Amino acid sequence: MYGGDEVSALVIDVGWNTCKAGYAGEDAPKAVFPSLVGVIEKSGAADGSAAALGNGDVEMGDAEEKRTGNKPGGDGNDKARKANRKLYVNALGFRRDFMEVVPTVKEGLVADWDLVEGLWEHAFRERLLVDPREHPMLLAEPSHNTNSSRETTVELMFEKHQVPALFLAKNAVLTSFASGRATSLVVDSGGGSTTVAAVHDGYVLRKAIVRSPIGGDALTEAMLNTVESMNVMIKPRYSFKRTEVRLGEFRVTDLDLPNTTESYRRYQQRCIAADIKESVCRVADSTFEEKQYQNIPTQPYELPDGNIVEIGADRFRIPEIIFNPSILKSIPGMEKVAEEQGRISGLPTMVLESINKCDADIRRELFSGILLAGGNAVMTQMKERLEKELMEEAPQAARVKVISSGNNIERRFSVWIGGSILASLGSFQQMWMSKPEYEENGPSFVHRKCP
Amino acid sequence: MANASTGIGVNDCCKLRFLELKVKKTAPYIIFKIDEAKHEVTVDQIGASGESFEDFAKALPEGECRYAVYDYEFTNADNCKKTKIFFISWCPCTAKVKARMIYAASKERFRRELDGIQLELQATDASELDVELMREKVY
Repeated sequence: MYGGDEVSALVIDVGWNTCKAGYAGEDAPKAVFPSLVGVIEKSGAADGSAAALGNGDVEMGDAEEKRTGNKPGGDGNDKARKANRKLYVNALGFRRDFMEVVPTVKEGLVADWDLVEGLWEHAFRERLLVDPREHPMLLAEPSHNTNSSRETTVELMFEKHQVPALFLAKNAVLTSFASGRATSLVVDSGGGSTTVAAVHDGYVLRKAIVRSPIGGDALTEAMLNTVESMNVMIKPRYSFKRTEVRLGEFRVTDLDLPNTTESYRRYQQRCIAADIKESVCRVADSTFEEKQYQNIPTQPYELPDGNIVEIGADRFRIPEIIFNPSILKSIPGMEKVAEEQGRISGLPTMVLESINKCDADIRRELFSGILLAGGNAVMTQMKERLEKELMEEAPQAARVKVISSGNNIERRFSVWIGGSILASLGSFQQMWMSKPEYEENGPSFVHRKCP
Repeated sequence: MANASTGIGVNDCCKLRFLELKVKKTAPYIIFKIDEAKHEVTVDQIGASGESFEDFAKALPEGECRYAVYDYEFTNADNCKKTKIFFISWCPCTAKVKARMIYAASKERFRRELDGIQLELQATDASELDVELMREKVY
């Protein structure tokens, strides 16, 4: 039991695209920053220039080394590996020679613990300006998290950050609670993937989790390829200089930066493509058909270099991927992705598949409580379309109801908000896994405390 | 212990009133609420005998969450009068996120305290508060 009522807890949700961190009890995360981290493998030349170009950005690498150095009993191997890499968290806006952009999370699970460490450190020291030793910590975890990954999280949090208490809560459960339902079907459409999970009485039914790799990022990638196939180059902001020659007239000069990595260039282009997607795309009201949309008016978007790109039917075609992934084949440049991934189901099929994996007794209740959340769910018309398709395919007796918050912030951050409320409840304090408990029972105790 | 349970307790009064409803059939419904200061579930309102489902639906506040039990009376296939006790969680979308969260997360624990609940209904707006839905569940 942990009785730290008066100190507010911290809530962290590391997603594929962004990491959300803030204080429990607030209604939106204080810090939202990309989960992708810039990494420079140290090999002489890159090091010096990178350090010199610090430019007010955060330099995780240095801080990290110092801290591991101070800690007694730090793993020697680990230290050596860390010394060879320099991490740049939330510093992707600035181009650095040889910096690769690496995702922290793959397929919903943590791919690289060093990077997660970096994100946490950045959240504590640079954004929230707190000492993790003083605050209990609530972490959101993917619904299909593995046991070993949970234990690693617990170990890192207690051993390295010395947190006084910890709780791990499943994404789907937090979303479900935040909307006032203990039983619901949570459709979480995030950056890297879409997960459909059934929650019954506050527990995730693990058997019924259905996932697909189609998320906001796949759509962004499709947008990028579509624009490129129109013979428009999306020039990343760092790659040119734009000067005003006369009033309202600009000249663009390309810069020659041979040491920029491919992954960084792609990342910068994706940022622009994501903005195009967010500004012009919307889900079609019914199944997308090329013919019907041939004559719709195009919408202009001004790229950073001043060129204007006109988006027509693709405004509808790209979001359609969520509902009908086979459309990927018709987008130039995405054919390979479609093939690699094999068979991907559309969102309505995933929902039905997940519900059918559940016990027959609760299916009806799940149909009437489908919660749509996640960053990708902000897309216009997505909720209406999903409801419509499900009504057509669901059994006659079922009442289909798709619920999603009208507020975009609540939709995007539903997991974090759920965690924030949970951790701020005075009565929740007894649920934490505390440090003494960890010391007595070891990391595997987490499976009992946070089932 | 339920996952992410909020540690909200249950006032003894709730169980007593519920027993009365179950055994003596004194009231058609009882509405409960969470007292945040005391961290426990307490009795909010008790229906007078003879009140209908509409009266019950009206008794639920619009922008706030509640739990309720409702003694649903029906005639079964053999023409016998029967009753079934429903547990209802009322979490309207208009309520504050925090309230919805507390109610959803504490429901399981509270429901287990009340022995003899047969069926359950989750309602997030007035359309889900319907006698028809209860009838469907009974059969």
